[in-house]
Formats: sequence, structure tokens, C-alpha cells
Amino acid sequence: MPELEEERRRFFEAAMAAAGATFLGALPSRAAAIPRESVAGVLDAPEPLAEGSILERMRADLNRALTKPIEQRRWVMVIDLNKCVGCHACTVSCIAENVLPPGVLYRPVTETELGEYPNVRKRYLPRPCMHCENPPCVPPCPTGATYKRSDGIVAIDYDQCIGCRYCVTSCPYGARTFDWGEYYESGTPRISEYETRPSPEYGEDRRRLPNEPNRSPKGNARKCQFCLHRISVGMLPACVTTCIGGATYFGDGNDPESLVSELIGSLKTSRLKEDLGTHPQVYYLV
Amino acid sequence: MVKKRLGLREGIGLLVLFVLAVIGAAAIFQRLQKGLAVTALTSNVPWGMWVAYYIYCIGLSAGSFLLSTVIYVFGMTRFEKMGRMALLSALFALCAGMTFIWIDLGHPFRFYKIFTGWQRSSVLAWESLFYLFYIAAICLELWLLMRCDLDRLANRSTGWKKVFYRCLALRWRCPETPEGQEACHAQSLRWVKAIGIIGIPIAIGVHGGTGAIFAVVAAKPYWFSGLFPIIFLVSALLSGTGLMLALYAGFGRRDEDYEPIVAGLRDFLAIFIVIDLLLFFSDTLVGYYGAIPDHVEILHAIMFGDFWYVFWIGQIGLAWLLPLLITSLPMTRRNYFWLGTAGWMVVIGIIAVRLNIVIPAYLYPQLPGLDKIFVHPRLAYSYFPSLIEWTSSIGVFAAVGLVFIAACRLLPLYELTEEEGR
Repeated sequence: MPELEEERRRFFEAAMAAAGATFLGALPSRAAAIPRESVAGVLDAPEPLAEGSILERMRADLNRALTKPIEQRRWVMVIDLNKCVGCHACTVSCIAENVLPPGVLYRPVTETELGEYPNVRKRYLPRPCMHCENPPCVPPCPTGATYKRSDGIVAIDYDQCIGCRYCVTSCPYGARTFDWGEYYESGTPRISEYETRPSPEYGEDRRRLPNEPNRSPKGNARKCQFCLHRISVGMLPACVTTCIGGATYFGDGNDPESLVSELIGSLKTSRLKEDLGTHPQVYYLV
Repeated sequence: MVKKRLGLREGIGLLVLFVLAVIGAAAIFQRLQKGLAVTALTSNVPWGMWVAYYIYCIGLSAGSFLLSTVIYVFGMTRFEKMGRMALLSALFALCAGMTFIWIDLGHPFRFYKIFTGWQRSSVLAWESLFYLFYIAAICLELWLLMRCDLDRLANRSTGWKKVFYRCLALRWRCPETPEGQEACHAQSLRWVKAIGIIGIPIAIGVHGGTGAIFAVVAAKPYWFSGLFPIIFLVSALLSGTGLMLALYAGFGRRDEDYEPIVAGLRDFLAIFIVIDLLLFFSDTLVGYYGAIPDHVEILHAIMFGDFWYVFWIGQIGLAWLLPLLITSLPMTRRNYFWLGTAGWMVVIGIIAVRLNIVIPAYLYPQLPGLDKIFVHPRLAYSYFPSLIEWTSSIGVFAAVGLVFIAACRLLPLYELTEEEGR
């Protein structure tokens, strides 16, 4: 497991370096994994993030939360809709991070148009799992496969899930999708390695192989888990680090010093479908 | 059913059923091998035709069972001759329903986890428990009602039939003397009454609870109403009565009880149609007046969407209006052919009701814009069953029909008469 974690992290970092992303400094072990010299010939190594950068602050918040007992953490995501430019980088990075097949989607960004020309605007709304305090998807599960962790994350035990899709039906946000066992390259002669590489989800490294159509996570409900495998090692969720507009914030809502705690104290926050009493842990700044 | 040799027409009918059952078995085999990718379901329309047929079969079963309690619990003995048939169709309809929901699971061979990982907050988990009790109640009642006749049939049969009847009778031996037989019969009826009394809340739980699986989903305003489980129950009674009317008018033994039984079923059918209509209008009009988009859009999709005919022809026409006309017009209400047809119309029409309960609820996106993010069939907000779904469904019905016909020919559906060995 640690080797795979390391390998996976290296893959991710290499991808980031190639993109010349300026927020590389948010990744903890970059310097150790890729020596500066090896990059220097190809690209200028990105400057480390300035002191006080938002990603650095959130990473510090995250690491501070990890020192507390798990039941005292409350993971919260805040999305600033004014900063979202609708690039869908979070959607794509989420698919890459969790190795999601077609039909499975954890973090789409909806696009709606408001107003009429000339006073018209596009509104982009990223929609991860809300990790509700009172999740409508958990009680209906007949086998207890889906459950709420003490840090607030709603997770799925793939081996316990029988695939009845009652939770998919019950989610008012459409945040659950089903793994139909398909590939982007279904119907072509070859299924590429990028579709069958192990997914780090829940730290389980499951592979979806074409000759095993009935093996989990195929035939299971699937959902966003706030990149549990990343946050447990002190990394921010993939959608947070890839957000080019810096619109997605993540941290511990129980920590008054954290950035997310500051943000959700604002008058501008709202949550989706609050009237259903679900108490989402994803807040929007509008 | 009258025991006679099969004619050519019956033979062809059975052959067709057999072929359909074999095709269905092949389709189910495909589905088990390849997973749910063989369906046309999507992550946004995750329940489709199989779930609709599941609730349809559970409804047929609960309706037939509740009808049998009319005889054994409430003492309406004029219906006694159809009692065993009602219980038998309750059993087979339940088996069909269980097959449908089993092949619908993403991991069918993990179904036992419902019991090992018991989750008391889940309506689905409670339902599974109810199904167990329910199937036990039906089997016990059938055994009690048939054990003496099975024993007699075993006594006068030879070969495999003797073994078959003996096994079904669970080696029960009926007393030889007429007084003993009388006492045995009375004891059976007492027990059946007791089980029937316990069975009523179970059957209500079975189908009202199946309705509750949908009604408790606050995310779907179309389902989320206290009336929903009651509508399930009434349309279950309606479909169960329709099935019994169709079977009894067509194949019931033509003796002195035939006419009153068919007439009684006809009146029940008309009453249930009227109550079902009343509840439907109440629920629909309230939803319509509420003007909540998630709800009204779905009602519009049902009435004027791509599948408008499922509603207007299937639901309004076949399930409600035509049978109501047939059961009330003077020229048809005493005609057994027409009454049998009315029964079949209801049996088919309720399929439309079930399809319209399950599928349209998914056609409206949970958040504005969710339907336009991705162009991929597995993320679509639309659904039409795949070939495998059609063939497997037709196959399940054909197979259950075949087994039901075989059971009706082999089992003592009516108390044996003197010359038949009493």
C-alpha cells in the first residue's frame, strides 16, 4: 500500500509538473520525489508558493485537523461560485484521480444561463457529494454498505453493497452514480491501461478488469468521498488543488482557525436544497 | 381446472410459453455473466422495467392473497372454490417478483447480505423480512388446505406422482374414517384462519411496504406522499381481483358455484377500480395544484410525454375505464367471456400503472442543468428497456405461467369429490 501510494503520488506530481501548474507547492513531497535537476532541463521548476497562499493555508489546516481524533474533525468544502470559471478541471481531475468509468461522475459542474441579453450571465455550479449531516442516502441502504463516518464523510463499503441503487434514487442532489461495468473504450479492440489501473479510492487500490464484469466496484453505487485517500495523508482533494480559479476550499469545520470556518461564517453562504433538512457539508458562496 | 387431455391449441400455447421461457433464461444468463451493462438503465434512471415488474408481481401476489382471506378469515364461503387458486397465484406471482428484483441487483449473489448486514432503518430490508414471512404464510396455508387431498392423491397414484404428492403432503396421513376426515378438515380451516389473520397485516406490509419503498423518498416529490402506499395496496387488490376473475371466468370449474363466484369477483373488481380512481385523482390533483416543478413536470411527462399511450391506453383505458364499463353495462356484466376479458385487461393495465410509477420519477434532473453536463447514455435522463430487459421479462412471465399451469393440473385445486377418491 505505501509503495502504491507513493507511485500514485509520483504519477500525479509528474502530471502536474508537466502542466507547469503554479500550485505545485501544495503537494507535500514533491521535492523529495522529483529532484530539481531532472526537471530543470525541461521546464523551469515552479516557484514554491508564497507564504500565506491559500493552498498552503488549507494544507496547514488539513494537517492540523489530522492531529485531532477522527471524531473531532468535520470535513467541509466551500465553493465560491463567483470564482468558478466553468473550466471543468475539477471534474476531469476527479475522474483521473479516482479512475472513474463512463456513467460514474463524482463532481460535475452544471451550467445554467440567467437573465436575457444583454443582461445575461452563465452560472457554473460544481456539485460534489454534499456529505450531508443528515444524509438521505444512508438509511435506505438495506445492508449498511453506505455509512457516515465520524469525520462526516459518507462512504461506501463496496464489498457490502448489493447494487440495489436505492441510495442513488434517494439522493436529492444526484450525487450518486452507478458503475455499469463499462469502459470509455468499450466496443473497441483494446481497453487501455489508463482504464484498468487501480483506483486509490478508500486506499483499496481496486482494479476494474474487463474479464471481471461482476467484481466490485462494478455493480456498485459510487460517489465522491472528498478524496479520503488523499486527505488521510495530508493532501487536499484533487478538485481543490486543480481548481484554476481557486474557487474550492476545503478544511475542518470544527476548527475555528481554519479557512473554511472563516468562510462559512459569511453572510454570502448558502447550501443546496436546505429545505430538505439534509444539512449539507458543502457550502456555496454566492 | 378440469383435467383433460391437451388439445392442439393448448399444445401450441404451451410450446410458445416454453420457447419464450428458454429465450428468457438465456437473457438472464447473459445478464448474470455481463452485469447490468446489458440493461438500458442509466445512473440517473437507475430503476426501470425490472423494478416495475417487481412491484407489479408483488401487487398481484398481495391482491390474490388478500382475496383468499375473504374466504378463510371473513367467512365468505361462497368464494371457497377459488381459495386455493388464489393462494397458488399469490405464491407464483411472489416468486416472479423475487426473480425480477434479484436480477435487478448489481450483485445478485450478495442478496443474503440484506439479512447478515441487517439495517433497521431501511424499508427495503424490512420488506425482505416481510417477504420471508409472507412466503411462509402462503406455503403453510396451501399445505394445510391441500394436505388431505394430497394424501388421497398419493394413495391412488403410482410412480413419480406418488412420490411427488407424498413429498408435497410432507408425509401427512389423513385419517381413514369420515369423522376423522371431517375433524381434520375443520382443524385445517381453523389453522388457515389463524394464519390468515396474521397474514393480513403481513400482506398489507408486503405491498403497502413496497409502496413505502417509493413513498419515503423525499427526493422524489412524485412519490413522496402518504397516499402512495395506500394506492399501491388498492391497485394490488385490483390486479389480484383482475387475475382471479380472468383465471376463474376462463378456467374455473363450471359447477353451481361458478356463477356466484364470477359475479362476486366482478363486483369486487368494480369497487376496487372506483377506489383506485378516487385515490389516483386525489394524489394527482393535489400534486398538480402544488405546482412544484419536479412534480408537475413528471405528471406532464406521464400524460403528454413520449410514452403518453402507456398512461392513456394502458392505465386509463385497460386498467380502469374499459373494465369498469364491462362490469357495469347490462349486456356484458353477465357474459363470462367479457368478464374474463375485463380481468385480463386489468392484469395488463396495472403493468402500465407500475411502469408509470417507477420510470417517470427519474425524468426530471435533481438540479437544474444536471441533464446537460454530459452526453453519455449512462448519464441520460431517459430510458427505454433494452432487448435483454424485454426478453428476460417476457421469459420470467412465461416460465412462471408454465409452472403455474403445471401446478394447476397436478395439484388438487378443488376439494376432491367422491368419485375422485374421497
